[in-house]
Amino acid sequence: MKKLILILSAFSSLMFAQDVAPVNNQLYTKECGSCHFAYQAGLLPANAWNKMMKNLDMHFETDASLEDEDLQTLVKYLNDNSAEKNMQYKRSNKIVSSIKAGQIPDSISTTPYMIKKHKDIRKDLITQNEVKGIFNCMACHTTANKGIYGKKDIVIPNFGRWKD
Amino acid sequence: MKKLLLIPLLINIAFASVVDDYLNSLKQEVLKENPSFTSFDAQRGEKIFTTNHIGKKGKEISCTSCHTTNLNNSGENTFTGKVIEPLSPKANPSRFTDIKEIEKWMKRNFNDVYNREGTALEKGDVTTYIINK
Repeated sequence: MKKLILILSAFSSLMFAQDVAPVNNQLYTKECGSCHFAYQAGLLPANAWNKMMKNLDMHFETDASLEDEDLQTLVKYLNDNSAEKNMQYKRSNKIVSSIKAGQIPDSISTTPYMIKKHKDIRKDLITQNEVKGIFNCMACHTTANKGIYGKKDIVIPNFGRWKD
Repeated sequence: MKKLLLIPLLINIAFASVVDDYLNSLKQEVLKENPSFTSFDAQRGEKIFTTNHIGKKGKEISCTSCHTTNLNNSGENTFTGKVIEPLSPKANPSRFTDIKEIEKWMKRNFNDVYNREGTALEKGDVTTYIINK
């Protein structure tokens, strides 16, 4: 029994060390991270990544097109590590569970879970220049690059720590 | 120590050959259209870089919106806030050392600012402007 508890607790601490699995692909960090935060693949299901990666020449109204070889490498990385394959991670799980059957979100910020989690934040705090929009994870989630999005690491510019 | 001195030298050589090859291939393209063409012009390049245009988002934008007018300083992606390292090879020796990177950004950024791809003449002029800044 003791052994079982030990194994279980070791397993659960491994499971929940992060909210989503951190990025572990150099090409992904370089290519996606040159214009914006390198969002973890576990923040969207594969069908949403595939929808996005089909239109990189019109990526949120900017041209983010890639050479075909790099595009294929990144599509494979996103598919191998997408949210529905990482349901042991809390945020991946919640994001996937929030999406209605048949829906394919256009972005991470427009998934029902993300909308719900950010709905109580004053609008001007989100649109201020230090943040610019919900897409800018690192502006408030100081440990987002490690895959950690918990409350204790949130500091909103010109507001401070988040308490609810 | 000698080895240490060699590193910047090698980066310099890599830069010179990549950017020269790039400008040369653009020149060959321009010559097809205009046999009397002589050379790219930094002043024309400056105009391309600093003037406003209706970009891909349907709003006024210029290259300087993100890269600023001082190419030896860092800039900031005007949409996302992400820092952009200096564009001038003088401040940032890794610039213009990889043909794939040069072509990727030329295509993207002309589309973002001009809502079309750049011509060979425009790409040659703006490159000449940047590398001499």
